[in-house]
Amino acid sequence: MDIIKIENLVKNFPVGKGFFTALNDVNLNFGKGEFAGFVGPSGSGKTTLLNIIGSLDTPSEGRAIVMDKSVSELTHKQSAKLRNEHIGFIFQTYNLLPVYNVYENVEFSLLLQKMSGSERKKAVMQALEWVGLTDKIKSKPNMLSGGECQRVAIARSMVKKPQIVLADEPTANLDSKNSHHILQTMKKLNEELNVTFLFATHDEKVMKYLNRIVTLEDGKVLSDKQNNLKL
Amino acid sequence: MIALKLAYKNLLGAGLRTWLNVTILSFAFVLIIFYNGLLDGWNRQGKRDTINWQTGQGQLWHSEYDPFDPYTIADSHAPLSDIVLKEIHAGNLSPILITQATAYPNGRVQNALLKGIDPNQKILQLPSADLNNVQEKYSAFIGSRMAEAAKLNVGDWVLVRWRDKNGTFDAREIQIAAIFKCDVPAADNGQIYISLSVLQEMMGLENEASILVSNENFSQKNIDQWVFKDLDFLLEDFEKLIASKKGGSMIMQGLLLILALLAIFDTQVLSIFRRQKEIGTYIALGLTRWQVVGIFTVEGGAHSILAALLGAVYGIPLFIWLGKVGISFGTPDMGITIAETIYPYYSVRLVIISLLIVVFAATVVSFLPARKIAKMKPTDALKGKLQ
Repeated sequence: MDIIKIENLVKNFPVGKGFFTALNDVNLNFGKGEFAGFVGPSGSGKTTLLNIIGSLDTPSEGRAIVMDKSVSELTHKQSAKLRNEHIGFIFQTYNLLPVYNVYENVEFSLLLQKMSGSERKKAVMQALEWVGLTDKIKSKPNMLSGGECQRVAIARSMVKKPQIVLADEPTANLDSKNSHHILQTMKKLNEELNVTFLFATHDEKVMKYLNRIVTLEDGKVLSDKQNNLKL
Repeated sequence: MIALKLAYKNLLGAGLRTWLNVTILSFAFVLIIFYNGLLDGWNRQGKRDTINWQTGQGQLWHSEYDPFDPYTIADSHAPLSDIVLKEIHAGNLSPILITQATAYPNGRVQNALLKGIDPNQKILQLPSADLNNVQEKYSAFIGSRMAEAAKLNVGDWVLVRWRDKNGTFDAREIQIAAIFKCDVPAADNGQIYISLSVLQEMMGLENEASILVSNENFSQKNIDQWVFKDLDFLLEDFEKLIASKKGGSMIMQGLLLILALLAIFDTQVLSIFRRQKEIGTYIALGLTRWQVVGIFTVEGGAHSILAALLGAVYGIPLFIWLGKVGISFGTPDMGITIAETIYPYYSVRLVIISLLIVVFAATVVSFLPARKIAKMKPTDALKGKLQ
């Protein structure tokens, strides 16, 4: 069963008097529990595709159906609900809230859901256990290393047990050791919780972990195949 | 709740910038309360003094009496009827006979109102009882302003000329028996007080008066040709004066508040510009744009709460101290009722209204730049791209 369906998707951005086509006639489906990635050079449309799947942006033409909901037909409120309940984001620059400590950063998205304090605490501690940061709950982001920050970001994206996690260049700011640690953590969560992970990357370290690689170039799908180089 | 928690953390996280804004706003807050408290204190003292020294709790005026028309004063007097006399004996009314006079202190000419007052009256604080202790029949007491203007001291004699009931001029030397000090210029400037019975005899108006001053036990009604004037009427000019002072002070307070609000507005604009990634993150985590607008608005508005707390830290001791020692204005002679020392009065209403104004204004100026968030593209916000 596909939880993401991309049909004839086109995304144009206005540039001067004309427009730039970032995605052109993209057709893709992703099932539950996939560990897939969009690869390609800068400007190929990887992040744009992730943003549309995450309902942070809408298609110019075609459809993006996420969890049986057409992204372009959602109101701001509905897309916020979709993101809050079903989609987790991991960013290249971690995007942790600087005034919150580790615990509060992870807890944040749960505050938007109707959840009791004890349930929230249990979920946060479990998420921090997954990423091995239970000893840093009081630390602020500026006290953590890049790898630790990204592990907090993973915990934040996973704490609400989403159906989909979208990771945009999650290892770009990390050294090799931390990159592998992060990827192993995500792979483990993918296998244990059957969460769909979609990456946008041009990091070969990431590609080695992916089950499926979708190659984009100039906004078009160049190839879509299972990964033979997988670790 | 999330917005409040975030606002609190972000405000404290912003460090010096927050405290500069909060300090300026708290200064505006304290100054608004202080200045209004000062005017309220002046208002309360002024009214109390005017009631104690001039108006009583109301007055019955002869139907012809108009204090601003010197031509009617000569005709505005009437005999005291039995009903009025009954109230006077009960201590609820005190008659005053008024006539225009000319005083010649030290050879100079000075217009004055000659007022006949019952030496035994207890309604006004005027030292009328001093007239019971004088040897001279034609003795008077005057206020310190009048004494200074006429250069008169206790024991001095002054020639006073007046018209009797027939309009005939008469004149007599009157001895100054006492000089009183009060904060009500209208009860002092150009006023000469003598015994009621003496003035009645001088004018040939036995058992007559121009006005009757009442205490709080009087039923506040018209009697015969006597028209009751309540405190709202008698204090109207003073109320207007305070209202105009408050109106004038609002310009200064408004300017100060605008300065403080500009600082908050500026901080908000800068904050939204610098924290675009954070805004994008909130949206990615599932907040709607208007919820993010709410977070930033609460954050800006929370400056006012911190300002109120900071203002309370130094404002409350300052206000308590000023409330005890008062603020000295020396011996102002501006023709209006004002005490030498004013004790500011801070009512709960004043504090609450000031707080609401500051909180509301801070919230509005925080909301205005925050509205921009609602138009932001989350994808651009996440990149920190200028929008």
